[in-house]
Amino acid sequence: MTRQLITLIVNGDRYQVPVAPCETLLDVIRDRVALTGTKRGCTSGACGVCTVQGDDGRAVLSCLALAIEWDNRPVTTIEGVAGGDELHPVQKAFLEYGAVQCGACTPGLIMTAKALLDENPDPDEEAINEALAGALCRCTGHIKVKIAVREAIKAMAADAAPEDGHGIQEG
Amino acid sequence: MASRKADFSVVGHDQPRLDGAHKLTGRSLFTDDVVLPGMLHAKIVRSPFARARILGIDTSAALALPGVKAVITHADAPKLYVGIEQPLFRHTIVNYIGDEVAAVAALDEATAAEAAALIKVEYEPLPALFNIQDALKADALLIHAKAKGNIAWQQAQDLGDVELGFANSAHVRTDQYTTHASHNCYAEFHVAIADWSLPDKLSMWTPTQTAILFQKSLAGALRLSDGQVRIMSLNTGGGFTGRTSVRPHHYVAAVLSRKTGRPVKIRATADEEFIACRAGGEVKYTFRTGVSATGQIKAFEADISFDTGAYVESQMIVLTLTSSYIHSLYKIEAARYSGRLVHTNNIPYYFHHGGGLAQMAFGLGQHMDALARELGMDPVDFHLRNGVTKGYTSMTGTFFGSCGLAECITKTAKQAGWKRKYGKLPPLKGIGIGVGAMASGAKGVFKHDTSAAFIKIVDDGTMSLFVGLPDMGQSSHTAMAMIAAEVLGAQASDITVISGDTDIVPLDVGALIQRGTFNTGNAVKSAALDARKQLEVLAAGRLGVKPSQLVFRDRQVYPKGQPEKAIPLKKIVYDTLHSREGRFVMGRGFYNSPKDSGTMAYSFGAQIAEVTIDPDTGFVTVDRIVASHDVGRAINPRIVEGQIDGQVFSGMSQVLYEETLLEDGQVMNPSRLDYRLPRSYEMPKVEHIIVESIDPFGPFGAKEVGEGPIVCTLPAVANAVANALGEPVNEMPITPWKILQILGRRAKG
Repeated sequence: MTRQLITLIVNGDRYQVPVAPCETLLDVIRDRVALTGTKRGCTSGACGVCTVQGDDGRAVLSCLALAIEWDNRPVTTIEGVAGGDELHPVQKAFLEYGAVQCGACTPGLIMTAKALLDENPDPDEEAINEALAGALCRCTGHIKVKIAVREAIKAMAADAAPEDGHGIQEG
Repeated sequence: MASRKADFSVVGHDQPRLDGAHKLTGRSLFTDDVVLPGMLHAKIVRSPFARARILGIDTSAALALPGVKAVITHADAPKLYVGIEQPLFRHTIVNYIGDEVAAVAALDEATAAEAAALIKVEYEPLPALFNIQDALKADALLIHAKAKGNIAWQQAQDLGDVELGFANSAHVRTDQYTTHASHNCYAEFHVAIADWSLPDKLSMWTPTQTAILFQKSLAGALRLSDGQVRIMSLNTGGGFTGRTSVRPHHYVAAVLSRKTGRPVKIRATADEEFIACRAGGEVKYTFRTGVSATGQIKAFEADISFDTGAYVESQMIVLTLTSSYIHSLYKIEAARYSGRLVHTNNIPYYFHHGGGLAQMAFGLGQHMDALARELGMDPVDFHLRNGVTKGYTSMTGTFFGSCGLAECITKTAKQAGWKRKYGKLPPLKGIGIGVGAMASGAKGVFKHDTSAAFIKIVDDGTMSLFVGLPDMGQSSHTAMAMIAAEVLGAQASDITVISGDTDIVPLDVGALIQRGTFNTGNAVKSAALDARKQLEVLAAGRLGVKPSQLVFRDRQVYPKGQPEKAIPLKKIVYDTLHSREGRFVMGRGFYNSPKDSGTMAYSFGAQIAEVTIDPDTGFVTVDRIVASHDVGRAINPRIVEGQIDGQVFSGMSQVLYEETLLEDGQVMNPSRLDYRLPRSYEMPKVEHIIVESIDPFGPFGAKEVGEGPIVCTLPAVANAVANALGEPVNEMPITPWKILQILGRRAKG
């Protein structure tokens, strides 16, 4: 199969990768860039565990995205969410409020929640529900996940008050 | 009452999970994240027919494809059985849609899939059986010659004088219930990596609830000794009773690895997930109960038929579990049980969350509720009247050293406003109660029910705790670290839990039958006490007191009542090693139930659900659930809440949403879009009541919380629906369609 060399920008790092037109962003991130924090689930866009954040800040199901379309477009994965040793407020809230169980869906949930809050720092119940509806979790019953998201919103609002936010810079 | 929470510095306090930051930052390794040098990828060729004769298998085109390293069929593993009647590959008759016929290993997954599609199998379709009724007919075809009447396994038992019990009953009621096939929908799919590249050692990476059972099964089937099989269970993405046995894909990976001399990974695709494990199944329950005029149970009878699908492996345990359940919940003097596993040409049955008990509780809880109503008794009073109590010994020999059942029922009823609401809600609004009991470990899988633990402490006072208990998300490793930390006066974060490699960790029967906190917890406590004893020698000498007067707390050691004399724990550790004796502190311990059989402790729960039915759509909304659970002692309260939440989710999901739709053996909804699960916005408000009955045998009094809550959720939701409708729905799941049929029938008058 003919492969094309693309530049994948993951968490600010640039990778030159030859990709076939049929290869997904998920497989390239996991198997070539060797960032396995993004989990491989149904590979058909139904479960949400492979969610990453695209260059426009929106949540992207990496199992449905073709890698070849992501040439030179920054992508944030779960490995790029924390600022060094400091967890992102969403991660902190998940830890503190017990929203992590088996952990297989956790990276997808974090990326989903982060993408939501980056776009809308003060989402109402409906917006939270809509965002989380595509991220399946079998262990937590979603209850503590929603508590953690609400707590993260509060923490981020408090952080943002003195100066401009905790947003992850891309590129 | 034993020590209160205030007496502990670690146990009973909220502790974020120790592996949380790893899981939240993408650092946690799951099996699919493992890449081994030279690793190949495998695909299975599966039967497209529910029952057919294989006329020929042509693998030549697949073998000719560049990148293909091996193709295996029955000839490569003629004596290899999954369980007792399932050869790894079929070469004569296939018995379900998905049955394994061949497998391929190739350099990458795409090539393996391409090669699998090139394997030509010629079939002659045969008649097949798809339900219990047809399979049990006298003239039904036989799926397995050895299973007469298509009965794979059966069990019957009478305890006490059942006929007399019914004769002495003022009321007798019989009900029938049916459940349907479902699926666990793990976040982590079925996956395994086998490295059998050298003949005398098989290493297998796989999510599992029990490494020891995997080790023994693989060794037995592949003719290796136990020590030649190494199980590497990394993080396990959910257990739900469904990861307790070696499944065909594990053997396929092993055989391909041996044949190629390279590691082999196999991973289920989205639709294969539904073939790799049909969780739950069509089960037909008949319950008959006799009660006195005042509502005391005099006799109970259960008859249960399970559609076990094409093959049985270890599913017979469901008969043992369901037969003993009633005795763990109610005081019963006479009980009869008959149960059977029935072969069909459906996907083999395996366990869903609740291990057969939650599904049974759907019917049993409704049956008891109906019985109470028939007597004009409040169900709450009925459960209180018949429920087991502390100090009671059941006719199966179970002694209840602790029992918070009555406390769960009364507290839940009070918080839910039961008396105010029951029987007084407007039409299409309902309230229902479910009660349940669950074992904390049991003998039966092996003659022992052993968990073992090691602990080592290094100079800086930090510790490594070695356990064989896996963590599938239930936070067992954090709980184990908390127990060790409490004994040794450390913090949970001082402890690294080492697990998941059978070459390193001590034996543990595993995370099944809800035995982790109880059995492994007791083993860890014992290992920590052993290590503490080694530290007490020096500490007692320094402080001039007897070892029994020492307190280990908050990283300090001091004489009881004299914290001002404290010596840092790490100094005691350091000086114990850097001394003439040079003692390196290593604690070891194990726990095995002292009983010959059965269970040391049961936990209990009660849940009350409130629902609203939409008359236009038939959709049931669960508005609120009050959930209590007697955990003995909550080692980590927030995690206990999380366990309850997850089971409430799974329980209401099983009652109202989940069904693997099977049509002539074919799964009609093999994807997470078509298979319904509640989304986050469909979850009700869940209120937790943690009851602590302080079990005399549990570590710090703790018992299970792994599957106890779910057996309460199913009957609570089902009874609430019955209450809202004014009549029960005896078939699970209770879909909107079933409710609309009832409402439509009524509208027609």
